[in-house]
Amino acid sequence: MSDTMQVIASGKGEFKPPDPDGFREHVREHKERRLVNKVISEKDAVERFVSDGDYLAYDQNVAVRGPASLFREIVRQRKKDLWVAAKFTWTDVSLLIAGGCVSKVDVGWMEFGPVLNRAIQKGEVKLIEWTNGALAYRHLAGALGVPFLPMRYMGGTDTFNESGAKLIEDPYTGQRLCLVPALYPDVALLHVHQSDIYGNARIFGAGVSPLEIAMSSKKVIISTEEIIDHELIRRQPQRTTIPFYFVDAVVVAPFGSYPGTTPGLYGADLEHWLEFAAAQAQDKTDDYLEKWVFSVASHEDMLDQRVGAKKLLQLRQSETVREGYYE
Amino acid sequence: MSEQLSFTDIEARICHISHLIEEDKLYFVQMAGPPLMALLLAKRMRAPAVGYVVEEGAIAPEPSFPLPRMMLGASRSHFRSVAWTGMNWVDAHAALGYMDYGLLAALQIDRFGNFNSSFIGGTYERPERRFGGPGGANEIASQCWRTLIMTRLQRRKFVNRLDFMSSPGYLDGTPGAREKVGMPPNTGPYRVITEDAAFDFDEATRQMRLIAVAPWATMDSVLERMEFEPLMADKLETMEPPSEEELNIIRADIDPGGFSTSRGQWITIDRESGQKVG
Repeated sequence: MSDTMQVIASGKGEFKPPDPDGFREHVREHKERRLVNKVISEKDAVERFVSDGDYLAYDQNVAVRGPASLFREIVRQRKKDLWVAAKFTWTDVSLLIAGGCVSKVDVGWMEFGPVLNRAIQKGEVKLIEWTNGALAYRHLAGALGVPFLPMRYMGGTDTFNESGAKLIEDPYTGQRLCLVPALYPDVALLHVHQSDIYGNARIFGAGVSPLEIAMSSKKVIISTEEIIDHELIRRQPQRTTIPFYFVDAVVVAPFGSYPGTTPGLYGADLEHWLEFAAAQAQDKTDDYLEKWVFSVASHEDMLDQRVGAKKLLQLRQSETVREGYYE
Repeated sequence: MSEQLSFTDIEARICHISHLIEEDKLYFVQMAGPPLMALLLAKRMRAPAVGYVVEEGAIAPEPSFPLPRMMLGASRSHFRSVAWTGMNWVDAHAALGYMDYGLLAALQIDRFGNFNSSFIGGTYERPERRFGGPGGANEIASQCWRTLIMTRLQRRKFVNRLDFMSSPGYLDGTPGAREKVGMPPNTGPYRVITEDAAFDFDEATRQMRLIAVAPWATMDSVLERMEFEPLMADKLETMEPPSEEELNIIRADIDPGGFSTSRGQWITIDRESGQKVG
């Protein structure tokens, strides 16, 4: 044991340097403390709050409750050079890469298809290794306002070597521990079941790390299945997942996780993923994006013109469980 | 003519692992796929009260069957949990020592139980075949007391040298190797389960040891399909073959239509002798 904390090994992976003080200054300058109406269109939200070069975080578990409509809007607006935290992701990163939006990916887990493989082979996208848990934990460190947190995994592996973690000797116990740098994303996308107009948001179900992401991100866009009355929030404060002051924009997006599922409301559309998989395999993602993103003006248009009421009803009916979510 | 039973290698692994599940222990199960299917099969067949958590934070679910295809939904797989939390919470439960077993799948594994789920061939920057990444495997394999790892028995999977060590086994096998890089003591891989063979780890050397083979396999047929030679138990046990009841549950409820499990290699055995047919 010693009074100086010695770094024994460091991974060589690039990371966005944690800047808790810079984050505090950002909050002081830019975050709204009052209850103000934050409802805006997805177009305006992405135009205003997603910039080229941003570090982008989001919350979902594979096909569950991802901010899919906001991803498509990012592609539609041809955002560039994003660095994304890909924990517990399915095809969403591939979609963003197919749209030319991404230059770096922090890997926890994601679907790895032809689009990603081609992008890596060509050197268009750079990967940095972490794990699902390490990324969620880095969001937690950010949410706590500190520059790093210690943890007891990743050490000794190639994952460690390709990450930005450090191995240290703990000055309290003398034991070795890994440190991971806090993540302070520039922008976060979160899809929720309900929100009031101020951004008091409710997520029902297990949630990976939505609150940690909302707390640690400079700009937070929420898409919500529905807007609920502020009075309902006041009546059941226990149900609020994310309090309003973390939130910058509220976008109304029924079926916002499509083709994913929002539990308690609608199931996932497996056929849609088969279409994306086929597009990837045949190197026809441009056609896919044209059909699902560029040829429609908005999420609402896509639901109306590409998915259709019949399919939407089927997806509603396929979700038979409401227990725990709405009951 | 005696009766036959057909199943895929994936179904065989699911059945084998399910036979190891203990009802009084807590399991940390890697997302959807065969590891969760094995736990659910055990829950249906022999350990109805067994508790488990999943990465996204559902605690002790009682899933509603049939599960949606590819487990795309949360509502049925997280049905009747005792709590819905998040990833940082369940990872902390493992860090605190509540998780007896981690249950994982691996792409490639070495003699010390270190495993790869990142890429095969090439280099990190230019992999030949890249896969999804470690997901939650690293934290599960580091922090649960014991880790159960399932993988297919193939030479390119049981290798001398991993293309990438995504998650830790016993590292270089030296005493205290895991603790030296920050992991909690007395943790590590416990069993490696394949369709044809089961392995444990020798306490002294931390090397993989063959302990059991399926009725249709032999020591030689197993060793042929490994790049490294494992240690040998004094006596090789015979693994229990999948039963018709187990296969019915997998096909009807756990993976309806065999969306994941039917894609494996088919094995047909004679029910009585357990030997391969055809």
